[in-house]
Amino acid sequence: MFETILKSVFSAGTFNQMLRSATPVALAALGGAMTEHAGIMNIGMDGMILMGAFFGVLGSYLFGSAAAGIAMVLLMGVIVGLFFALFVVKFRSDEFIIGTALNTFALGLTSFLSRSIFGTAGTKGNPALPTVHIPGLDAIPFLGTVLNDNSLFIYLTWLLVLAAWLFVYKTPYGFWLRASGEKPETLRTAGISPEKMKWLASILCGLLCGLAGAHLSLGQLQGTFAEDMANSRGYIAFACVIFSKANPAVAYAAALMFGFFDAIGLRLQDYISSDLTNTIPYIITIVMMVYVVVRSQRRKRHSSKRLPEMQT
Amino acid sequence: MMERLKKRRWGYLLSLVLSVLLAFAIGALILLAAGFDPIRAYGAMIGGAFSNARHVGDFLEYAMVLCLTGLACVLGSRVGIFNVGGEGQLLLGAVVSCQVGVWLNGLSPWLVIPAAALAAMVTGGLYALLPGFLKVKVKVNEVITTIMLNTIAASLCQFLAKGPWKNANKNMVAATERLDPRYWFKTLISGSSLSTAIIAAVVITFLTWYIMQKTSLGFEMKLTGQNPRFAFFSGISTDRLVIVCIVVSGAMCGLVGMFRVYGVEHLYRSSISNQYYFEGLTVAMIARYDPVTVIGLSFFFAILKIGAQGMELSAGVPNQIYLIIQTVIIFFMAAENGIFTSLRTGAMRRRARADIRRKEEQEHV
Repeated sequence: MFETILKSVFSAGTFNQMLRSATPVALAALGGAMTEHAGIMNIGMDGMILMGAFFGVLGSYLFGSAAAGIAMVLLMGVIVGLFFALFVVKFRSDEFIIGTALNTFALGLTSFLSRSIFGTAGTKGNPALPTVHIPGLDAIPFLGTVLNDNSLFIYLTWLLVLAAWLFVYKTPYGFWLRASGEKPETLRTAGISPEKMKWLASILCGLLCGLAGAHLSLGQLQGTFAEDMANSRGYIAFACVIFSKANPAVAYAAALMFGFFDAIGLRLQDYISSDLTNTIPYIITIVMMVYVVVRSQRRKRHSSKRLPEMQT
Repeated sequence: MMERLKKRRWGYLLSLVLSVLLAFAIGALILLAAGFDPIRAYGAMIGGAFSNARHVGDFLEYAMVLCLTGLACVLGSRVGIFNVGGEGQLLLGAVVSCQVGVWLNGLSPWLVIPAAALAAMVTGGLYALLPGFLKVKVKVNEVITTIMLNTIAASLCQFLAKGPWKNANKNMVAATERLDPRYWFKTLISGSSLSTAIIAAVVITFLTWYIMQKTSLGFEMKLTGQNPRFAFFSGISTDRLVIVCIVVSGAMCGLVGMFRVYGVEHLYRSSISNQYYFEGLTVAMIARYDPVTVIGLSFFFAILKIGAQGMELSAGVPNQIYLIIQTVIIFFMAAENGIFTSLRTGAMRRRARADIRRKEEQEHV
């Protein structure tokens, strides 16, 4: 019995499932990395994902094509990002309050609109994003099954991870973005407004979280919207951001780890209750956060031993 | 000093009223956009809450839930720890207290109900101890840990209600055994959810308010929340105070779960709480963590919520408009300072520009 469990856990299906459940979290985490670098604690990603999921389906329903859905998501992503920045950057409100309120607002708005437009709490069967078939990849035995025939955004995410990494670490904009979070006054002295970088980060976050939602509703679930379908993914993404110290590549790896545990839960359903395995990613998040904090404290202690004069 | 305090109170009240009015206006726009008549919808909303005694009982019961959860949140934020995990503490308190009632079936209610209340408080308190400990000893952000613990608790309760503590009736998918009717809290208005639990709630509310506002312990809590270093060096054991506060906050949430089981549902199922703690937390935020304001606003939002449910039945408007209005109020209240400052700086900038222009014109002449 133990052998069959192991076999099903480490099968190609598991890793494919890992990729699927990791992608929305990873996309949102990329967005969260932007706001994190800009020094904004963004709790509101869950709501941003939910908005993306809903407006993706709405656009696809209204115009009959998934591309229109994506266009709508991009538009709404910018609007949500601007909205978030208006309160957090312009009005200097408490980030936590605005984030929490944004989550509840998104839940209320999407449920309200879904009920008044579709007449029910959800909708399905709208035009969805295509899956991508890469010819020749099937020839590779294990990887072929894992990597081929996935929804479009799974491949797009790889490009976006690379782009985000290059943006943050290799362009002047990324440099300014990081400075706006770490030393805003220094950046201001250099003649660049940290507020503008924060606005940019919020908009990018709104866009990427919107795409995460669009992947969820238009890609993974083939044109389906259900109430509260973000299902705390925004919080998991936030945990990934914290864990990776907002490095996009590491955040993607963290999201993959979550996907892996999620996939294992599905595989083990026959042996233990899925309610119990569902808790694994959340327990891991807590353990990860404790680990990150303890590690950074230890580093601080070591560095202070070496360079006492560097302490501020 | 007193005068300034009073002025701030009036300022708060003014911005609250303005926020509420604006939120209703935005809600009306959304209703219009969705093709509903806002005046009829709002009429149905007010009518829904007061149309009959049953609805009045329902909103009183909901006000009790909001008030207790809101105060639980205030208790944490007073000492600078944000308990977002009340939902999980509430659910676990509910399922454990229910099972205690099932296990002790046959004993006197005088024994069973205190035992169940104690079990609910211990469960909720212990579940809040973990994030409190992590916050104080390891400095892990409590917001994230409590959010994660919420989801874990919800899954755990679901597991218990489907597995080991499942109802013997096969048609009940995820519910525990029903309590014996003699353990139920007496219903005060027939047909409504209002039960004698509200008496206990009033006592708890009074005690919480009294401790926070009228005792030296309450003062120490305030000090710890506002300036932990100062509090620490004044000889307050801040770490212990923070942990005690979040544990009591968790215990209150657990007790709310027990009230919901023994007063309304009489068994555990997931409908025991539909994100009720988050609505209580919202109330606490809008009230700026002031206990008296929390009590007042609980009634307001309870009327809105029950009214919105009545509105859905009578006018066919989805009740989620309630969530939209509520969050718009938060947005305005949280941004109040920023909005006023940017309005003022905008006016100053305009005046300065006008001055410059006038000077230039004078020079030209």
